[in-house]
Amino acid sequence: MKKRSRLKIVAASTILLGGMAFLVVAMTRSTSMRYFTPAALVAAAGSADDQRVQVDGLIAEGSTKWDAANFKLTFAVRDRETEATVNVIYEDRLKPDNFKDGGSVFVEGRYDATQNLVVATKLMTKCASKYEGAESAAPTDEISYTSE
Amino acid sequence: MTAEIGQAAIYLSVLSCLWAIGLLSFGLWIRNARAIQSGRNAVIATFILISIATGALIYGFVTDDFSMKYVVEVSSAAQPLLYKITALWGAMSGSLLFWLWLLTVGGAIVVWQNYQRNKQTQDTLADYSLIPIAIVQLFFTILVTGLIDGIYNPLARFTDGSVFADGQGMNTLLQTPLMAIHPPTLYIGWISLTIPFAFAVGALASGRIGSGWILRSRRWMLFSWIILTIGITLGGNWAYQELGWGGYWAWDPVENASFMPWLLGTAYLHSVMIQEKRNMLKLWNILLITLAFQFTLLGTFITRSGIITSVHAFGGSGIGGYFLSFIFASTAGVIGLIVYRWNRLKSANRLESLLSRESAFLLNNWLLVGLTLIILWGTLWPIISEAINGEKSTVPEAFFNKVVIIPGLLLLFLTGAGPIISWKKITANNFRRMFLLPLVIGLIGGALTWGFLALIGYTFPLYSVLCSFAAVFVVAAIFAEFYRGAKLRAKRQETSFVNGLNLLIQRNKRRYGGYIIHIGIVILYIGIMGSKGYFLLEAKSMTLGESMEVGKYKLTMIDAFEKEYANYLRSGVIFDVAKSGKKIGTMEPAIHNYYRAKPDEEPTKESAIHHVGMNDLYVALANVPRDIKTGGVVNVQAYYNPLIGIVWIGVAVMVLGGIVAIAEKSERSGGA
Repeated sequence: MKKRSRLKIVAASTILLGGMAFLVVAMTRSTSMRYFTPAALVAAAGSADDQRVQVDGLIAEGSTKWDAANFKLTFAVRDRETEATVNVIYEDRLKPDNFKDGGSVFVEGRYDATQNLVVATKLMTKCASKYEGAESAAPTDEISYTSE
Repeated sequence: MTAEIGQAAIYLSVLSCLWAIGLLSFGLWIRNARAIQSGRNAVIATFILISIATGALIYGFVTDDFSMKYVVEVSSAAQPLLYKITALWGAMSGSLLFWLWLLTVGGAIVVWQNYQRNKQTQDTLADYSLIPIAIVQLFFTILVTGLIDGIYNPLARFTDGSVFADGQGMNTLLQTPLMAIHPPTLYIGWISLTIPFAFAVGALASGRIGSGWILRSRRWMLFSWIILTIGITLGGNWAYQELGWGGYWAWDPVENASFMPWLLGTAYLHSVMIQEKRNMLKLWNILLITLAFQFTLLGTFITRSGIITSVHAFGGSGIGGYFLSFIFASTAGVIGLIVYRWNRLKSANRLESLLSRESAFLLNNWLLVGLTLIILWGTLWPIISEAINGEKSTVPEAFFNKVVIIPGLLLLFLTGAGPIISWKKITANNFRRMFLLPLVIGLIGGALTWGFLALIGYTFPLYSVLCSFAAVFVVAAIFAEFYRGAKLRAKRQETSFVNGLNLLIQRNKRRYGGYIIHIGIVILYIGIMGSKGYFLLEAKSMTLGESMEVGKYKLTMIDAFEKEYANYLRSGVIFDVAKSGKKIGTMEPAIHNYYRAKPDEEPTKESAIHHVGMNDLYVALANVPRDIKTGGVVNVQAYYNPLIGIVWIGVAVMVLGGIVAIAEKSERSGGA
């Protein structure tokens, strides 16, 4: 009797753990999307075409167009290190807070390699708390406008 | 001068931490009461020193001392006093100091409680526990000395002696009352987890691994759990009100970092009951509380090291490595102690049946720890995927939303089944008496939900039906528990039912407080089900006079306004809200333009929320054009969030239950 109940416990735990593991792997497979910098995405254009991707870069200066009448935001994500850019279109959603030229942005959406365009479903700008490293904490030129 | 005093205090507290660690270890080793007392005093000294340092920093904020780096970074002369003080945790080095200060408060309280207790009995458990506390304090003290790369001393002045005319000021998004209390609440929750962890280590070190350490640290754990619950919810509420995306939870790495210790803490609160009742799971409990503590550090590591990109701007700050080293070193220390005490960690009892209170607890633990690991997996997936196939990938919100449903529903069912299933082994009698009626009522509840959802057009809402079934079952099961207990009390004491209920809760606050928490969980689940599963989202470009529809509601933009406040300009529009043709109110979403905004700061969205019972209408704007009165276009995003009000109520009930449970003072063994 004792033996059998232990066996049952082991079996139940295995099913539970196996089930959870299966769930995680299956969901990871079905939802995982590749992460790119703009430069990497342009380089991998062929393999990333028509895939859901995440792009992490900066909002290219002067690229933002906000078409209020059609509720359409277009801009380019610039690579942090190179000159590479990827165009982004984002429709029927509000521009997130802190959306500013040169600011950090994450774009989630489907990539169209022929147009080098991401049709975004989600935009994230960096949020408010500013836990930057020590270097950026030493205010130099940025502060000057307040001390004038 | 004050800044220099503060810096000196931080350097001195390195010594007091070392003193505490050394003298306590030595005193406990050779059983020398004077050495132990000296170690305890050093813990108090650390508290005083760090209080001085923290006070000096606050003084710097209040007096606008712009020769201090940190003050310039997060404060400005025009910042309201409240936000000058909350600027303390506005950026990294200050928040580490604040974290450390809270930890020294914790240490001082442990010394005080031990002093009170030792008037009656002599017990060295708390003294053993002070050693790990002092070690963690030492780690944080070293971080804020400014002697290591990546973090500067929060009290440091500019090295070139420059003095700024004004500071940069804190980000405007953070200048709301909710943001003033959300971060410290979470910090307090995380830090108080250190204390039960320290007691576990103390128990291992001293060799007394019975339930003594659990009883001694139990209220700390509950305290931590309550505060974490509040802190996490405040964050969600802030995001909902301020960020304009209509939601309260997005599985962001930083949110996950706060949620994982909560899950582990919840698991621990349950598993200790088995140790108390059945003397099982000794090793598991020590592992669980160690894990919970390490996850608070891991959370800091994840969010501060820059290895995971998050919407919270942390950047690669270089302190991640120190956290990771400390996590490894302290885990290794605990494992070493476990190996050393291996013989004493064996369980006195075995699990007897798959269907018993013990296995319900165990299943609860497996699910909670499983959920933690799943969330960790998703959070670390960028790193894991890179390690596996050399290419970084991420998982979206949808991954988490989908993957937590089934374990989440099982857990919900357990909140009702756990309290009513019998110990050792379920019997037919137990099943008939306790389970049958709640199950039947639950099935009816599930069926009614199904009918209702089918009526409004959802054909096969499987998870909602299961969730409603489980929710109704749990409520029925727990109300029956209260009812039976109260009736019995009333009969025994020959008093009214209400008095009986009161007596029942008074006599066993921890158990019935726990049940109240379970009711809160049910309410929370219903709120999440409604707001995550059935929200509506509409977006439209509109001019004055136009209207848009969200579900049954019609929003007509009737006017625009502009109003000047002390530090910002508020411009917005006014909507008439109508339901089925009848006006039910107005909404005024707006944009705040801060006069002193930094160049990298955009105006903030101030969304308008209109409550219709427990459901919310939520409207946010992207912009209010200058020419709005003459045909300018406003971009409007409107949500209908059903049952979202229930989310906050559920959490409030959970906190209430927690407060009832923590009121149980005695160190007697008891509970569910």
